[in-house]
Amino acid sequence: MSPMSNRDFAERMMLLARPAEQFEPTAIYDPDGDCIEFLAKPDSFYAERVDDLVTVYYSQETQEVIGSLIKGVRGFSQKILKAMPGCQIEIRDGRVRLVHIFRARLWTSKAAPERSIALTYEKLIKVAEDSQVETEMCSA
Amino acid sequence: MAGNCCCEIQISFDRMQAVGRRSMGHAKECGIILPMILQKPTAIFEGLRSDEDEDRWGYGWRCYCGIPEQSFRPDGSSARPYPGQVYLVFVNDEKVTYNWRWEKADPDDPRLPVDHETRFKQRLL
Repeated sequence: MSPMSNRDFAERMMLLARPAEQFEPTAIYDPDGDCIEFLAKPDSFYAERVDDLVTVYYSQETQEVIGSLIKGVRGFSQKILKAMPGCQIEIRDGRVRLVHIFRARLWTSKAAPERSIALTYEKLIKVAEDSQVETEMCSA
Repeated sequence: MAGNCCCEIQISFDRMQAVGRRSMGHAKECGIILPMILQKPTAIFEGLRSDEDEDRWGYGWRCYCGIPEQSFRPDGSSARPYPGQVYLVFVNDEKVTYNWRWEKADPDDPRLPVDHETRFKQRLL
């Protein structure tokens, strides 16, 4: 694979670009980062780390929660399925609703989360529920 | 993507497609800001700390920081960079970039992200 010039790379990206009007909420597992990125709106965003698992995305325009990055997905999946084997029934064809991942994180916390963290999770759960997104759940 | 001197960073085509589908603005962030930060970073940190999986997120995983010349709205139009924010590009130990985004900057050094002292194991640049 040969390196691409900045100009060629930018042109290639613009060929892949779609108008924001065609946006649909997505939650995609990325094996390169072992992370799930969730985005509910096409806004530009800034990120804030919530805890070891979740970084939340806020819209630059409205400051609302519009997505998140879930890190360390392989390890988290193993931990959840070990702690709560019943979760397995929520995984269908290797996919799970994103909202279950946020709830599983809260329910397996060793201590009650700080109020600000709990509030952020509540907002994320609401956005994930409204978006109805599913994602790949790797357990390997 | 060609690096400035000796380091070649890759990006998966799946990731490019996923980002392109979001909006023109997201596509331009990836196509224009991402290479700029990787080639002219204001700081590079190595060793992303995480209690969940220390080994996997340890040495070799890097965070490139910088302040882009512009930001992009969802329609792809450009604007000034967001004040008080810095752009971060994350690269794994196989030199594949997998995440990039704006974050709040350290008030004492706007070229660096908040909490940079505790988030990373060491600073390379």
